[in-house]
Amino acid sequence: MIFSNRPHPIRSWIIEHVLANPKKAIALPVLFTLSMGLGINYLVIDDDMMAMLPETLDSRMSWDAVQDEFGSTEVIFIAFGNKGKTVYSSETFSLLWDLTKALENVNQVEEVSCITTISRIDSEDGFMEISDLQPERDLTPPQIDKIKEYLISNPTIKKRAVSESEEYFNIMVQPYEDIPHDIMRDVVVTIGDSILSADYEIHYGGTAYITGSVPTMIRNDITILLRVGLFIMAIVLMVNLRNPFAVIMVFSVIIQSLVVMAGFMGWMVFMTGSERFYFTIVNSSMPIILLTIANSDGVHFVAKFFKEMRNKKDAKQSVEVTMDTLLVPIFLTSLTTMAAFLSLSFAPIKQLMGYGICISVGIAHAFVLSSTFLPAAISLKKWDMNSKAVTRPSIFESLITYFGKTVSNNPKLILGSGVLIATAGIIGLLYLKVDVNIASFFRQGTEFRDSIDFIDQEMTGTMDIRVRLEGSMKNPRTLNEIVNLQDMLENNKKVTTSFSIADVVKQMHRVVMDDDPDFETIPEDQGKVNNLFSMYSMSGDPEDFSAMVDYEYSVGLVTALSRVMSTEEIISIVDEIEEYVGNLKSVGSASVTGMAVVIRDLVYLVVQSSVISIVMSVILIGLITSLFFKRIAWGMMAIIPLSVAVVINFGFMGLAGIHLSHVTALLASVIIGVGVDFAIHYISQYRRLSKISEKNALTNDVIEDVGYPIILDSASNMSFGALLFSAFIPVQYMGGLMVFAMISTSIGTLTFLAAMAELLKNNLSER
Amino acid sequence: MKIRNIFIVLVGISIVFGQSGYEITKTLDEKSKPKNMISKTTMVLTNSKGKTRNSVMISKTMDNSRRQLIWFLEPKDDKGVSFLKIEHDDRDDEMRIWLPAFKRVRRISASKKGDSFMGSDLSYEDMTSRSLDENEYKRLDDETVNGRECFVIEVTPNASLKSSYSKHKIWIVKDDLYIIKEESYDKRKKLKKEKSFSYIKIDNYDIMSKISVKDIQKDHKTDISFEQVKVDTDMSEKIFQEKSLKRLPSH
Repeated sequence: MIFSNRPHPIRSWIIEHVLANPKKAIALPVLFTLSMGLGINYLVIDDDMMAMLPETLDSRMSWDAVQDEFGSTEVIFIAFGNKGKTVYSSETFSLLWDLTKALENVNQVEEVSCITTISRIDSEDGFMEISDLQPERDLTPPQIDKIKEYLISNPTIKKRAVSESEEYFNIMVQPYEDIPHDIMRDVVVTIGDSILSADYEIHYGGTAYITGSVPTMIRNDITILLRVGLFIMAIVLMVNLRNPFAVIMVFSVIIQSLVVMAGFMGWMVFMTGSERFYFTIVNSSMPIILLTIANSDGVHFVAKFFKEMRNKKDAKQSVEVTMDTLLVPIFLTSLTTMAAFLSLSFAPIKQLMGYGICISVGIAHAFVLSSTFLPAAISLKKWDMNSKAVTRPSIFESLITYFGKTVSNNPKLILGSGVLIATAGIIGLLYLKVDVNIASFFRQGTEFRDSIDFIDQEMTGTMDIRVRLEGSMKNPRTLNEIVNLQDMLENNKKVTTSFSIADVVKQMHRVVMDDDPDFETIPEDQGKVNNLFSMYSMSGDPEDFSAMVDYEYSVGLVTALSRVMSTEEIISIVDEIEEYVGNLKSVGSASVTGMAVVIRDLVYLVVQSSVISIVMSVILIGLITSLFFKRIAWGMMAIIPLSVAVVINFGFMGLAGIHLSHVTALLASVIIGVGVDFAIHYISQYRRLSKISEKNALTNDVIEDVGYPIILDSASNMSFGALLFSAFIPVQYMGGLMVFAMISTSIGTLTFLAAMAELLKNNLSER
Repeated sequence: MKIRNIFIVLVGISIVFGQSGYEITKTLDEKSKPKNMISKTTMVLTNSKGKTRNSVMISKTMDNSRRQLIWFLEPKDDKGVSFLKIEHDDRDDEMRIWLPAFKRVRRISASKKGDSFMGSDLSYEDMTSRSLDENEYKRLDDETVNGRECFVIEVTPNASLKSSYSKHKIWIVKDDLYIIKEESYDKRKKLKKEKSFSYIKIDNYDIMSKISVKDIQKDHKTDISFEQVKVDTDMSEKIFQEKSLKRLPSH
């Protein structure tokens, strides 16, 4: 046995057993992979953004209450028509009728709101009539004129049903509360596209449409680009390792780890049924993160193996030395990375707990594979000792020699430069903005964004704000306060319209008072309001008010529709509304909810989760490294470059105007996950070589030893720069930031950490 | 004497049991009904979440409910509101409502037969007596409901009727010849409403004492009970006019 220092009994036991029983060492982890992989069948993909919010959060509770009392508030808008052509034609009304009936026949649709379904309230000679605005499918010109006249005299209704230019109809489709938005989106788009012939422009919008479309689109986009990234990664590895078997081995570790992670997620859903293990939009980054970590384990092992082969010319001996050298650092990197991810359990977004646990299982499996499967497979292969892979160093290896010398000679300069860059990063942090609004995930000019923009510009807008008010909805004072609240909401430039039960009361009042517009007000006494509702109930559908007031008239809902707002605008308007409703006197309690509020709360949660995760990870990594290496100095040395890399990355985002979203925020995990690997590999080799190398050559030796796998790992992970070609802005950023993170962590380790170690070598050396 | 009775019963049975759907319904339609009726009616509406709305009203009807006056006693919010309905064969039904807070009578119209009556699960069409010749009847296999032998008839409204339903299925108790159960199907031929009826005997009339209607699609329920029922009173036809709305009768 060839051991670099006193062999640890567990380490030597693993090495002995793996090399003595290589087939068993391959079969057992592969069997484990297969059995865990069966769990993929139970994997649940959940695109509900609301599921990310803790159930005890105010806006979530209000949201749940609103859904319970008024049904789903997340709707899909369909706008259709033609530029320059009026919608007031018999043909367009017939199509509107057909589309409405088709949508109403679908089990997922609770309600369709458009001209075909709206009731009209008319008053003629003391006669009140509640009837259908569109009485039948095929309309005569006088019937169309009658509808047009009614809409002109009821602008609030018109705003919701017809575009300002009168060139497009608007249909609002409300799904049942429990219908997933992606299913709803598919149903509505299929029906819409099939009924509205090619002669019409069709635009879709609404929060249910966006949230139903985007997660799947992002996932599909990431899946395609991930394959491209893997292909590039294979090429980078092939160019450097120059051996297909070695590349296949690295990929085996990666793929098996991914299978185990996904399978474990599925098994957890199967066994616990917990939503924490659902695959949501925040989990989209999991495969990329695990891929980079598993790649790191494989690359370090294979690179070291080839280096040893060059000296020893014996595969089994090389595997032994590689295992002896790397088992501890790979174990430690896995342990610290797992600790970092498990710290997500403290994050307020509950899916992040499942995220942390499942990715930790994947990381643990990557460690097992790198310690058993990989050495066993390599030891079984018959190697050609004259191949280029064995005899000649790769491009990166040659570069690293020069790099090591530069760092050894100029540690102060390098450290100073690092401090300067970190300072710039801290300044950049001040400019970092958060944006979780998924409507802004698309660049202007893309088909999806154009559709949303159309609904925004021509119709009532895509977003909604809901104010839930408790109090007697028949009390004129309450109703007047609702009127004032609506005025306040409509004063905001982005709010296109609002509606509530107060609008209906005003309209009924006018009708009862012989259609006199002066009476389009809230009656002054409650008896009159009571009478208006009684009158309506004599012939109107009791469900007509169900979206505005509860069954007992004790809870009302004010809905404001708005154009897409930036996260900052959302925060501002929600705060303004909350302050306003807090001062209402006739209302028992009021709460603001809707997609806008959810987005605002999600912003806070994302930031909170990121900060908790970063701080906890850094503390845990520092603790574990200090304990393992039995020196606080090593713990500090591990976390300082890591923290600097995090600061530089987020600072760069701030300076470059890249917003922090629930997609880009998780980049911190990549930096920490990969960065800690690099730092630990460096420290581990530093400690080992400090016992045998000359003090003045120590840094150079360490960089020569670990620099190559670090650079190779980093360069291969940069393949995920392919994400730059995504159609989604945050995914593009993620691609760019992955490249940036790889550079900052690898170069940071080989400069910042190396320079610090060089300057402190008299204290750190373990000779 | 005994033999004669047995003979009459046998003839009766053979007539009844050999009848077509139309003949059974015609027999039902020809059953004697009171000239007029007064009752105190309680209506409980229950939505899908189990929340309820209760109404208590006094109702006076004539001509098999073709003329109807209703005064609301409860809930407090509706007290004083009253409603007059007169059905016409040759034109739209006449409906007026008295709004005490406005001191105005307003004519209202339900242009669709499927419109809900007073927020309940009964539509105006449900409350209007079916004209025998405007529907087609098909007798189905007899069934037992609540231990009672029933004729089962499928009633399909003629196209000219412009009904909001595609068909109804009614269960008629063989002994007493009254409907105890009804299912109504919408235009898509999906089950829309389930109704059940209970009766009491007053002056040899089978008078409805309870109606329970469930809208299956909306998961909404209406329970109506009739109490303090008086039949064949000295009610005058003249009370079915606008001015009666403003006078809440002592019951």
